[in-house]
This record gives sequence, structure tokens and C-alpha cells, in this order.
Amino acid sequence: MSACEPKTDKKLRYALFLGCNIPVRATNYELSARKVAEALGIEFVDIPDFSCCGYPLADEDRNETLLMSARNLALAEKAGCDICALCSACTGALTEAAHYLHEDEAARARVNDRLAALGLKYSGKTRVVHFARVLAQEVGAEAIRAKIVKSLNGIRVAPHYGCHYLKPSGLYGFDNVEDPKTLDQLIALTGAEPVDYHGKLRCCGGGILAVDEGVALSVTRGKLESVKKAQADAIGLVCPFCGIMYDTNQKKVESRFDREFGVPVLFLSQLLGLAMGFGADELGMKVNRVKPKEILAKVGA
Amino acid sequence: MTAEKSSDAQAADDEPEFNVADLDLGFAEEVAAKPGGEYIRRCYSCGMCVAGCPVAEVEPRYSPRRLIRMILLGLRAEVLQSDFLWLCCNCYTCMERCPQAIRIPDIIRAAKNIAAAEGRLPANLKTVSASVTKIGRLYEIEEFDNKKRVKAGLPELQTKLEDVERLMRK
Amino acid sequence: MGLAKGSPRTGFYICHCGTNIADTVDVDAVRRHAEELPGVVVSCDYKYMCSDPGQELIIQDIKEHRLERVVVAACSPLLHEATFRGAVERGGLNPFLFHMVNIREQDAWVHEDRAQATRKARDLIRAAIRRVAYHRPLERMRVGVNPNTLIIGGGIAGINAALNLSMAGKRVYLVEREPTIGGHMAKYDKTFPTLDCAACILTPKMSAVRDSRNIVLWTYSEVEKIDGYIGNFRVQVRRKPRYVDEETCVGCMQCVDACIYKDARFPSEFELGLKKRKPVYMPFPQAVPPVVAIDPKTCLHFKTGKCKEPCKEACARDSIRFDQREVVEEIEVGQIIVATGFQTFDPARLPQYGYGEFPNVYTSLEIERLVNASGPTGGQVLLRNGQVPQSVGILHCVGSRDENTNRWCSTVCCMTALKLAHLVKEHTGATVYSFYIDMRCTGKGYEEFYDRMMREGVQFVRGRVGEVRDWEMAPEEEGKLVLRVEDTLAGFVRRIPVDLVILAVGMEPRADAEAVQRMLHISRSNDGFFLERHPKLAPVETTTDGVYLAGCCQGPKDIPSAVAQGSAAAAHVLAMISKGHIELEPNTVAVLDDCSGCKTCIPLCPYHALTLNEESKKAQVNLALCKGCGTCAAACPSGSITQNLFEDEQIDAEIEETLAHV
Repeated sequence: MSACEPKTDKKLRYALFLGCNIPVRATNYELSARKVAEALGIEFVDIPDFSCCGYPLADEDRNETLLMSARNLALAEKAGCDICALCSACTGALTEAAHYLHEDEAARARVNDRLAALGLKYSGKTRVVHFARVLAQEVGAEAIRAKIVKSLNGIRVAPHYGCHYLKPSGLYGFDNVEDPKTLDQLIALTGAEPVDYHGKLRCCGGGILAVDEGVALSVTRGKLESVKKAQADAIGLVCPFCGIMYDTNQKKVESRFDREFGVPVLFLSQLLGLAMGFGADELGMKVNRVKPKEILAKVGA
Repeated sequence: MTAEKSSDAQAADDEPEFNVADLDLGFAEEVAAKPGGEYIRRCYSCGMCVAGCPVAEVEPRYSPRRLIRMILLGLRAEVLQSDFLWLCCNCYTCMERCPQAIRIPDIIRAAKNIAAAEGRLPANLKTVSASVTKIGRLYEIEEFDNKKRVKAGLPELQTKLEDVERLMRK
Repeated sequence: MGLAKGSPRTGFYICHCGTNIADTVDVDAVRRHAEELPGVVVSCDYKYMCSDPGQELIIQDIKEHRLERVVVAACSPLLHEATFRGAVERGGLNPFLFHMVNIREQDAWVHEDRAQATRKARDLIRAAIRRVAYHRPLERMRVGVNPNTLIIGGGIAGINAALNLSMAGKRVYLVEREPTIGGHMAKYDKTFPTLDCAACILTPKMSAVRDSRNIVLWTYSEVEKIDGYIGNFRVQVRRKPRYVDEETCVGCMQCVDACIYKDARFPSEFELGLKKRKPVYMPFPQAVPPVVAIDPKTCLHFKTGKCKEPCKEACARDSIRFDQREVVEEIEVGQIIVATGFQTFDPARLPQYGYGEFPNVYTSLEIERLVNASGPTGGQVLLRNGQVPQSVGILHCVGSRDENTNRWCSTVCCMTALKLAHLVKEHTGATVYSFYIDMRCTGKGYEEFYDRMMREGVQFVRGRVGEVRDWEMAPEEEGKLVLRVEDTLAGFVRRIPVDLVILAVGMEPRADAEAVQRMLHISRSNDGFFLERHPKLAPVETTTDGVYLAGCCQGPKDIPSAVAQGSAAAAHVLAMISKGHIELEPNTVAVLDDCSGCKTCIPLCPYHALTLNEESKKAQVNLALCKGCGTCAAACPSGSITQNLFEDEQIDAEIEETLAHV
């Protein structure tokens, strides 16, 4: 059975969580996601007060991450919405906090003590879900297929799952972390061919970019090598952090290791948007560092 | 068959020998007391965490198994002062595969938090923390950004998240 | 207070249990307290009441003081109730006019304050002395034992149990699900650590089963229903049609040769799909019974009805029976041995090891077939492309010692891996790597075998392999499967390219273990294997009397242990047959006349001992099944069920006296 089966036919309405990178550095992801969501009947509610998810604070003090996540969860709860996040790291941090604060009443009380200063209270109700998971499980293959007007037939896309879209599996209970299928299936809906390649499940290295750029880029390089070797036309992914590593930093990897890749990196929503007939500009293609010229030419977008 | 590099041998070169009297036998408990750290004593040192680690693949100085052994052994100073402690990229591969269900990234994070509390947070991460706690985001959203957003058809966002600063102020 | 007719003459004995009790309880004070109680004519303490001189005190006093009741305050009744009942009986008193008080586990061991522990002991013994006055003499019931035995499962454990019983002249029904007996052992090539050929030692036993006049062998059959109780079980066995007459077929294979399918083209179950068979087939040449079977799922006769049936023509003995139907046999047996075995772990559950993804990743069981001279390759270990592997990696603990799959150690895989290392090296000359976490070689001659493998040059790497991939990063890795592993003893990560990967898969309970458990009313431990009655002292018995365990259905074990357990189960069976009857503890329940037949109690009984008597419309107890748990007595809305040794007045007296000084 396909992993992409709608679980519900109720109206999909979510508070859209952007995080730090997307609003300034990955507007292509935001633009395309909003277009695709609208076309599929997902309503995004904007909460301008949303901040960073808190994930970047985890190395210093995990409790601070929890607190910052809690503030966002509380804002969503106040607005009566569950959260849909575009970034996998945000999804991870918020999901973990939501789980922890749901299970542990004492932790919730501690957090609420501090939130009270802002006039906020979190009662533990907010659910957090990644945009791609909404597409796979709540919208479903049928509804997406119905909106496809332009096949990406002939385009070979290497799916990059990244880490926090699926893991920790104990927290998500979604797809199979050692043999995931959802991105392959979503990409296949566009008519493009999902390509298998070595190291498909490897991390992008983004988590240690700030600590040791050399090591981080070495991790990034591995996948660029094998995607290139598999002769994929593009990498398809669902996290802005992974996007920074493969797209924004691709040049850096090339010069550091004296290699040439030139592999375009597209967000899943950009691929879906193309297949739904949106234009390149509508999908923010200008923001992509490695220009997906050949793909756009093939599709005529 | 290739050995990626004898990292223990290298570690032996780099690090001074330790004195048994200097071992901090309470360190493991200190880590175990943090969320997710409680299973550290179950490690049977099979190396599966290292064998799947994307960082260990490119950087032999890094080994989650060795970090766990060092914590269990009580090499507190050596762990907290090390640079490789900060190399976990938090991808959870080790945790998914660990046959003893040890939450390895949580253990490493616990050690990081202890190091940070002692003032050992690497400079770059300090900058990250400062901006997130002060402005509520990694990158500031200025009027200029909002104009660009509006032009692209995206909604404006709060430029100042004063609430966050109030919340996170220690 | 006191009894209406005056208190019975009671003897009270308190045990020091060395210092176990005496350290915390003032034994002498308790003894003196008892002395003053109504009816007590003897009150005495002794260092070890369970010893012969201790028991002798009771026996002598019963005679000398004409005791009518006996109370012993000592350890747990679980340990020594039977001992003291025996003494009371030898003294000439009904053993149920005795009561035991636990002042060790429930007092001395759990308290520190001597004064309070002593007071608690006083309260407890006073209650017991009051209670025992209301005891009545009870008799143990005897039930006959049917001397026939059912053995479920024809692997080596079941075979051995069957042969032991047959040797003693007892009738055995051996029921096996597959078309042949032999189980997993029949698939093995050599056996560790002696490297004798599995078939050479197993097939004589299989033939002996076939030749035994005492063993009724039903293969291709499954036990479907079991009713009754120890000594008297009624069993239904469903015998699946094999479309061949077992009485006349001699396994000459003429039909197989004649089959309309000229080539074997269906995966052979026995060969784990590594070889093909025809719709009419013999699982392997030494199968017992040596009778072919026809698989209706692949046979043209069943699929289309349009086969010329050359098999039928070829059979000189007219043994092909397309009209054979399923038969349900009903038998009566006294005892049952469960020997249903195990299944190997399916490594597809660990996608990182590439089983099913890379054709040259095999399970250890599949390799057993490849190294076997009668196996699909005639004993050659070959890659799927027909080439001989130059390098082989064997992974230990696949599906064992892993929170993500099975937590337990499967105990035999280390030795299996070592054995296969030897055999593969011998057959191919390949470099063999063995990836282990802890080498567990704990049987006789096992460590010596490990030592031999080290000397034979097997490359041992201490580390659990992280992943098996075909991602080449260096020229020597091209076309190879690359194992990524930390050599934890050297402290660095290695990438080891090999041609062939063997996953030493663990043992797990059979998928249908739960159904078998329910049918037999036995228990399973957390790991899912059947639960023995006691992990040390009753490793073969179950919580259901008359049902015994043998082999890997109870937990992973090697062949000698499975054989030993089979024999142990047979010994239990023979002991019971030899005795000829069972004695039932009389702590059973009785249904009183005022039962309204509401049936509340019936589904509550964990032992299925209660039914509704259709004539009287009252509940009735099968005393042979009742274990005296008291569930029904407690649940009966009208109080119409009483339980021996737990009668209302006994318990009331006990409670009253316990609380009298509170």
C-alpha cells in the first residue's frame, strides 16, 4: 500500500511555521509551498509572532529550546490551530517539545511559569506536522494527482529525506526510517522519476556547519558525489537547512574539494508546483543558487 | 579493505595520559540525570553507532562510542574540553539503530549542556544563541526584508520579537 | 472466645531457620505466647523444623499428646508445606489438619524492628491456631492416567522424546505440520563443534521413528483442539490431504519423473527457495515418511482440471489419490509434549543489511543448504552469478541482542557462525570475516572450536556492522558489498569489501506460538517463547499439568540441549504413566445446592474447570482441573461456591484473631 493515503477528509487548516531560514533565505520554499497548499485546499494561517523554534539553543541548554518551542506551541494553541512546519529541524524541535510537554505535567507547569510573564499558557494540545507529511498522509496521492497538469516526465530526481523529517521514529511513527518511501512517491506523482542513489539516507551535515565547516561540507560532499554519479537531474528535498547545504553551499563544496557538480536542488513544493502548472517565478526559482535551467526548459516553465 | 584512519592512535598522540585518581566517577550519573541520558549504562560497546555515523565517516576524531566510554569511565575534563564533543550533527542514525536503545544524541547533548554551563560553548554557537535569544530568530527580519516579502506576495512578519527577549532573559 | 466444643488439642512449633527468623523475631517469646493459647498442649521451638529431627518432634508429639491439630511457624508454604504435611501424616493425623504460618518472608525478612516483628509473629500464629481449629480432614482424589502421549512437532526434540517413549513400550502420536519430520536439523550441513554431518546422525533417528510400532506418525497434520486435563486429554488432529496414499507409496519418485512439468519450477520449501521442485515432490531424499506430496497450489490437476495426470499412470502402486480429503482424527492421550520449535529471524526487518536488496546477502540457514552436499548447489558455495566468492563476511547477532528486533541472545548463532566460517573457508578458500559483539561459546568443546577457528585464520572483528551497501568509495570496493563497521578493539572504522554476506539470524518464537499457547492453556515469557514452570527446577514442565516443553519452543538452544530436554520430557511422561494415577490437591471448590446457574463463574475460571450442568442447571466443577485459585468462590453472587481450606469460618477466625489486638 502506498504511504501516501489521506487519513482524513476534514478541512486542512494549519498555522504555517516558517522558522528562521525560510522567510529570508529560502523564500522559494515558502512561495512554492503556499502556492501548492492553496491549490490543494490547505489553509495556512499566519501567526506573525512566531519566532525561531528553539532548536539552535539545544546545544547550550535543552530547557531553553523547550521554552522557546513552548511559546510557539502556545501561540498556535491560542489561535486554535495545529502547526504545519516547512523545515524539518523545526518540525523535530516542536514535535519533541509538544510530546514532552504533553506527557510531562511538571515540565509543562515549569514552562507555563515562564510563559505567564507574556500572558501565555500552553495546555499541551498543539499537534505539529511536516508539510510533506501533510501532503502524503492528509491530502493524499489521489487529490494531488488531480491537480497535476504538466508531467515532469523524463526528469530524474534524487530524493533527499534528511534527518528530522523521519527521525526519531519513536516520536513520529511515520514512514520507514531505513527504507523510506513517501518522498519517492510524492516526487513520482509529478511524473518525474525518483532516483535511487548511494547514501540516500545520509545527513546533509548542516547540524555542524557552525561548529566545523570543513567536516560539515565533507558530509555534504558525499551525497553530491553519489547523486552526480546516479545522473540525477536534481535533488528533491523538504528542509531549508538541507537546501543551504546542497544548494547555497554547493559552490563552496566544489571549490573546497576541487569538484564540479552543478546539481540543481529543488524543494518538493517547487517540483509539485511545476507539475501543477505554476510558473518559475511563482515558485521562486530565481532564489535557487544552482539554476535549474534544463529542468525549466524541459517543462517549459 | 581500508582503515579510515587510526583515530585512537591519533587520540593517544594528541591527548595527555590521564591519572586514575583524576577520574570523575560521578560524571556518568551527571549525564544520566539529564533527559534521554538515563540509558547510558546499557552500552555494550558494539560500535554500531560509529559504523552508521555520517560524521565519523569523514572525521575519524569523532566516535559516539568512544564518547560514551569516556563518560562512563569518568573522563569528565577530557570530554568537556574536547572539540569532537560538538561534532554530533544530530541525525539520529545511531539512535535509530542502537541495539541497546540508547538515546545517543541526547547523551551527547547532555554533555554539551554541561560543557556550556561551564562556559565551553564554542564561539560560533554562542553567536547563534545570542541572536536567537535576543531577536527571536537566527536572522533579523528588517523593514527591507518585509518589503521584499510583500513584493514577492508574502505576508509581512514581526521585525521585533520583544516577547522572546523577555521570555529568554536569564 | 474458643470453640463451642472446646478447642482441639493443638501442637505449635516455631522454627529459628538458623538465624533467618531468630535474628529478628524473639522465638522464645512467641513460643511462650502460644503456650497460653486455648487448645495448645505443646509449644516448642527448634533450630530447623524442616530437618529430620524437627519433623520427628511433630510425629512424636502427635502420638504422645494425642494432637488433633498442628501449626508450624516457619518459612513460606511454597517451600515446606508439603514437608510438614508429610510429617503430620506420618504421625497418624490427616495432613490437612495442619496449618503453616510464614514468619520468614512475610515477617523476619521484611522487618528490622525486633519488637514489632515479634508482635507480628504473635498475631500471625494466634490467627493460625484459631483457624486450624476449623479445619476438616480432607482426602486427595485420584485420577487415572491414559498411557498414550501426544508429541507436537517432529524436530529433533520431538523425535527424541518419541523414541524414548517408544523404547519404553508406550504409544506416541507424533504430529508434524510439514510433510516430513526432521525439523530445522534436517536442513543443517555439519554440526558444531565436532563437524559430524547432521543428516548422518539425524536420519537414523528419523527412520527409527518410522519403524517404531509404538509411534503413530502423522505428518502434514496439525493439532487443532485439545480438551481435558492431565491423564485424560481429548485431541483433534487435522490431517491435510497430500493426495498420495501413505500406506502404499514407497517414495520411488516415478511420479515425480513423470510429472507433466518436465522441469522443476516452483520454489522448494525445504530448500528455502534456493532450489525448485515440481508440484509432486519429496522434500528431501531422506524424508520420513518416504512419501511424496502433491501441492494443490501448483499442480495442474487442481489448477485447471485438465492435466493428463501422467503421475498417476507412472505409479505402479496406484498411490496417487486426487480425491483425498482432509481428515480430522480424534485421539485420547494422557500427556502432551510440545516441541514446536522456532523460526529464524527475517532480516528484511533490518533494511540496512540489504537482505532481499542484494542477491549475495544470505541468511545462515540458506548457507547451511549451500554448503550441504545434497543441497541446491551440490555443496558449492557460489555467488548468484555462479562465481566462487573470494571474501565472505559473517555478521553475528542479526535479530538478537537488539532492542529494535529481539532482545535475547539466541545462544547458538556464535557457534553457527564459527562453523559456517570453517565450512565456507573449506569449500571456497575465501577470506572469511566474522563480526561479533561478544563471542559466546559456552558448551562442551565450543571454546576449543573458537580457538581452532582463530588458528585457521578467520578474521575476527569485534563490532556490530552498521550497514551493508554496494556504495564503492575506492577501486577495491568496486562490484563488492561493503561492510561498514567499527573495529571496536582497534578503535577505528573499517570498510570491508566482500563478495558474500552471511547474516547469522537469531531464533524467535514461531509466528503461531500464541495460538498454540491458547490451545494448551500454557504461558509464554516476555520474549514470546513458551514458559517453563520454573526457570531452574522445572525447566520442562508448564503451568498446565501433563503438558511439557521440549526444544526451542521454550527458548533458543543448541541440539544437545534440545535432545536433553526431549528426553527429560519423556522421563516426566513415563514417571506419570508408571505411577498410573495422579493425586489431586483437595483445596478444590464445591458448588452448593443453592447455585442459581447464573454462569458468572464459568468464564472467570482460568483453568476451564467450571461448566453448567445442563440437567441440574447448576455449575459443576471438574475437580481434576480445579487448581483452587478461588476466583469463582469470590465472584459467586450468591456465595454458593465454597473452597476447601478457605472456608468462610476458617478465614473469619483467622481475620478476627489477627485483628483482635489491633
